[in-house]
Amino acid sequence: MATVYATSVKFASSLKHSVGDYKLTGRTSTLRLVSMNWTKNGFPSLRSSRFRVCCAAKPETVQKVCDIVRKQLALSPESALTPESKFSDLGADSLDTVEIVMGLEEEFGINVEEDSSQNITTVQEAADLIEKLVQKKSEA
Amino acid sequence: MLSLKKRGALSMQISNFARGFFDSSSPLVPVALPSQRETHIWYIVPDEVQNTSLLNQYLKLLSSCERESMFRMSGDKLQKSSLLARTLVRTTLSRYTNCQITPRSFKFRKNTFGKPEIEWGHYEEWSPPALHFNVSHTSSLIACGVTVDKLVGVDVEEKQRKIKNDILSFARRYFSLHEVEHLHAILDPEIQRQEFIKLWTLKEAYVKALGRGFSAAPFKTFTIRFRATRSDGLQVPTDLISEASEILVEAFDDPKSLSNNWQFGLLELANSHYAAICMEKENILEGKGNDFMKLKVWKTLPFVEDEYVSGTNAVKIICGLSQCLHL
Repeated sequence: MATVYATSVKFASSLKHSVGDYKLTGRTSTLRLVSMNWTKNGFPSLRSSRFRVCCAAKPETVQKVCDIVRKQLALSPESALTPESKFSDLGADSLDTVEIVMGLEEEFGINVEEDSSQNITTVQEAADLIEKLVQKKSEA
Repeated sequence: MLSLKKRGALSMQISNFARGFFDSSSPLVPVALPSQRETHIWYIVPDEVQNTSLLNQYLKLLSSCERESMFRMSGDKLQKSSLLARTLVRTTLSRYTNCQITPRSFKFRKNTFGKPEIEWGHYEEWSPPALHFNVSHTSSLIACGVTVDKLVGVDVEEKQRKIKNDILSFARRYFSLHEVEHLHAILDPEIQRQEFIKLWTLKEAYVKALGRGFSAAPFKTFTIRFRATRSDGLQVPTDLISEASEILVEAFDDPKSLSNNWQFGLLELANSHYAAICMEKENILEGKGNDFMKLKVWKTLPFVEDEYVSGTNAVKIICGLSQCLHL
């Protein structure tokens, strides 16, 4: 396990140092670092900010959000869209984001406060907020 | 496509054919600082930048952080746009230091609210100018505004941009009542769409000038107003932005912080975009007339060609600006 940790650190630093050789080839680099913690027993435990036990939005909600985002940003069918995709990385400007939020409000019959809409930066965040608001609405 | 352009002594006319074989490393042309009431706009058209060796030259100007951000973008077009935006900022700012600070050596930080600003180093015999800048992009044009001493916000949008939602529903949801009424009064849907885009850019430019982020100044908490000066000298509200001589902002929670602090300009850029500029205003003595913001605009392909376009068809003032026709 310690080897894994060392490899991930090395990878990160080699990314930075080789950047002088970086040429535009249209390649997108994705680097995900997972932090490893040593517990009291000496066994590493996996801790990732993506690890959720509960409260994740239903797949259908995520799918609907993806559809609205695809439509708003006119994404080509080949372009990758995952729950973690950041709107800004997909080329959304502030008007796109506001239009997406409005599309979501209409689709799900909810109302998103303007300061909450600031926190919607990915598909997953939008889906989670929608579920929260839909649930609140049904409880009201 | 060749056309007559005004150019400085150091820029060159290069045909598209020659560009592929030319090591385009002519130095950046330095530019005099904007005066107190002046905004400078530099813009680049991504579709006109195709030369891979030029793009790789630009890539070397970016910090490692900027490069990582760029490669996170989804697809070649967005990556190129991100690259050109950072190149535009770095090369533009360098010009205002008489090129003493190279584009590569600029450092940036975010202010307490997240707005990017220059982090100057320590220089022995030189005081850096109090430069403010703001960038705006669309897929077809990237613009950078520069001022001295004054906060500035710039927003550009494609004139032809289609709104996916119904314009009035959108406005009722996000704009002020006054702005909704302004749009509602326009019967022609195409003109309504254009006025919507102009309003959007003005509101965005204000929020960006404030530099506190969207959530600190939600669009519903302030309104843009237009005022025209009648032939008898009286200032009256007006319905069409194009007739207005003045654009003002009124923040609902702080009515005193009015138009007194901020001035706006609106123009058509490169025949394809609306551009709004919001700049901090100096304290003006009561009774002094409307001094419009002065504007200078350049179209650039850094290290290859700069073109001063003020006074040409590329710059059409709509409101609130006076152009400097000569450099």
